Amino acid sequence: MKIVKETMVKRKRTRNEFFYDLKKNYILWCMLIPTFLFFLVNNYLPMVGIYFAFIKFNFKGGLFGSPFVGLSNFAFLWKSNILFDLTVNTILYNLGFIILGNVLQVFTAILVSQVTSKFFKKFSQTLMFMPYFVSYVILTVLVYNVFNYEYGLVNNLLSKWGMAPVNFYGEPKYWPFLITFFYIWKNLGYGMVVYLATILGISKEYYEAAEVDGANTLQQIRYITLPQIKPTFIILLLFSLGSIMKGQFELFYQMVGNNGLLFSATDIIDTYVYRATVTNFDFGMGTAAGLYQSLFGFVLIVAINFWIKKKNPEYALF
Amino acid sequence: MKGIVKRGLGLAMVGCLAASMLSGCGKTPEPEKLVSSEKQENTGKDEKQKAKADTSKKVDLVFYLMGDAPNDMQAVQDKINERLLEEINATVTFNFTTWTDWQTKYNMILSSGEPCDLIYTANWIDYAKLCKNDAFTPLDELLPEYAPELWETISKDLWAQMKVDGKVYSVPSSKAEYTNVGVKYREDLRKKYSLPVPDSLANIEAYLGGVKEKEPTQGILLPVVNTSAFDYSLSSTMVLQAKYGWVNQAAMYGLAADYNNPSKLFNYWASDAFREDMKMMKRWADKGFWSKSVLSNSNIADAFENGQNVMVIDGENPAKYTGNLPRVEKDHPDWEVGYIPYAEMTGVAFANHATGNGTAIPSSSKNPERAAMALELLYTDQELNRLIQYGIEGSHYTIDENGLYVEGEKYDDYRNEGANTWNLRNPKISLLHRNDVKLNEIFDRLHTIAQKTKYPDANIIAGFIEVPDSYAAERAALSTVMVQYLAPIEAGLVPDVDAAIDTFLQKAEQAGLSKIQKEYTAQWEAYCNEYGYN
Repeated sequence: MKIVKETMVKRKRTRNEFFYDLKKNYILWCMLIPTFLFFLVNNYLPMVGIYFAFIKFNFKGGLFGSPFVGLSNFAFLWKSNILFDLTVNTILYNLGFIILGNVLQVFTAILVSQVTSKFFKKFSQTLMFMPYFVSYVILTVLVYNVFNYEYGLVNNLLSKWGMAPVNFYGEPKYWPFLITFFYIWKNLGYGMVVYLATILGISKEYYEAAEVDGANTLQQIRYITLPQIKPTFIILLLFSLGSIMKGQFELFYQMVGNNGLLFSATDIIDTYVYRATVTNFDFGMGTAAGLYQSLFGFVLIVAINFWIKKKNPEYALF
Repeated sequence: MKGIVKRGLGLAMVGCLAASMLSGCGKTPEPEKLVSSEKQENTGKDEKQKAKADTSKKVDLVFYLMGDAPNDMQAVQDKINERLLEEINATVTFNFTTWTDWQTKYNMILSSGEPCDLIYTANWIDYAKLCKNDAFTPLDELLPEYAPELWETISKDLWAQMKVDGKVYSVPSSKAEYTNVGVKYREDLRKKYSLPVPDSLANIEAYLGGVKEKEPTQGILLPVVNTSAFDYSLSSTMVLQAKYGWVNQAAMYGLAADYNNPSKLFNYWASDAFREDMKMMKRWADKGFWSKSVLSNSNIADAFENGQNVMVIDGENPAKYTGNLPRVEKDHPDWEVGYIPYAEMTGVAFANHATGNGTAIPSSSKNPERAAMALELLYTDQELNRLIQYGIEGSHYTIDENGLYVEGEKYDDYRNEGANTWNLRNPKISLLHRNDVKLNEIFDRLHTIAQKTKYPDANIIAGFIEVPDSYAAERAALSTVMVQYLAPIEAGLVPDVDAAIDTFLQKAEQAGLSKIQKEYTAQWEAYCNEYGYN
């Protein structure tokens, strides 16, 4: 009884404090409104669309007028027994992208930060950033002309050097590496800039002190730079984990296309859903698959955050 | 502080969700209300007088067409709007779906609520399914009142063919056509190397093999994966139309029936003929008729015109063949192009179904009456119809002394039917092109063949409306199985054809093939029964 009373009092007080704060800092609160509206309109309102997963859509009824069909829209996901494989593929690819991508971004950021020539610094940065602006559709043409069996660049070079041509588009085993390579090729520059900014933000005094103590460059990186960017690294890692169930649809679809020979190693949930629903344009099935991905990703990130909070509370996201 | 913010946000979020749901709920009934009130108005007017509709308020209509806009679309549109403003106080903006991802875009236009008052429809865009999902406004009452001339000009027979569940949802092109496809090939190469005329499956293979042998670097065929078909996955197998006179272009869900015996479906995928055919595909692949990387290639636009292949085996109907001839003549004067309809190899031809090209008014249209009036003008008014079909006279085209259509100076900026308005073909006012002589000659040949079939000009398959609701999940699963396992077989890129077919059939079975086949057969037989095809 006493506890209840205490919490009641507490709640009352916090509410009062809230209103007090609102009154006192109302200008600051007003400044929050645009952000608030932005997320409301772009992230929360569309959530109503989740209901699409449970209806049989027709054009007249729209979202709320179409008949409710329960879970039958989810059936196609497990009909062909490949949901497990798809989930595994999706997660493994994303893990590869996240871990390898972040590590390489840190690595190149450190390299660039050590470069003293200003021209070369800018030049290499631009060069790494460029692929980020290449559209995936262009990537299709590029990849197809590099790896085509008969006239592709790679096979031309191989035959010039007297080696047997490689049938890239017939063998799944090459594609995990190729896809990861092109993902990193495209995103390296962008991610690197974030780390570079963090590195440049580290106070010069640390390095000066280290130099006085006789530390060489490698030691400076090991004992100053790396520990300083660790929080950024972990936060970015956690952020990307939230979308671990969301495949890079464009990357996969544009690189592999509809090549069934490669699917065992390249099919992710997004590409599968695309193929299954493009035939009979079905809002229900598409949303059902999206919902599965979101729920799975949500559970995953809550679990990981819970674990991190226990181990190292300062790095937890929420 | 942190806690407060969190709780505040949480509360706000709940509030917002509730609000959004409410607003969502409130929104939906609106269009229906609108439609019904309008209808009441209409009937009220009908009783009083048969006068023209109220056009005092200017409206801007949107007309969606397929593919890409011609360069001079804006100029032609302005000319059209001058007349439309005068006649019915309305303007039309022509929008285009482009050919990239058009299926998705088409459905988004209808479902997203973006303004659209007229839209191209066809059986190959799931006309019947969209009608059943209430995507279009029924026209049975609208047209007689607001577009009486249009209603009269199209024959009762054609209107009957457009009916879905007893209602007309689309205005068909009234041009009688044959869209049976055939092979288009480089006749000059055939003569140069004295190869056989590709008038049978064996001769097609001999012709292709001959070209490959004489010109090893020349591309031969350029098949492409089709993810949205249930009768084939790679277009290489479309050449089998030279062998089979089926009711459909290929075996739907593996089920086929002879055109002259349509009600007897048989399981082609389970037959030895299927295995033989797939072994032929492997032989073709091994001979190098297409690239080993073909499954990942999706760029086939204008391949024949650019000399990337020597034969087109898929989707080349007579009109498409004659329509592309002027371009080839212009770009490659040294070429000769041959064309042989598959019908001449199998003895099966049938006229196009009315649902092949049409115009519908989406149920999301806010001005269905004015849309009907605009459509009537575009369809029946000679000046307007020729503007949209051929562009501006004197610049895009001219008419010669025989009254034939001749390409004008700026032909490339607005070609013959450059806006892809196949749905507005009106033979009463359309112009003939000198190639149309060729076209009509092919039509005559096809007509002769069609008369010899058991069901002359019936187009049995196009009249059939499949209702896949009861096996939608199985169907979705099967479509992915086909792309993954059937396409490589059809591309001849599997080491062991028999083993690959076994795997494909096993995976298809897991996806629910027998259920699909059973339900499809039941629907098909009921249809054949109803219409007396047996």
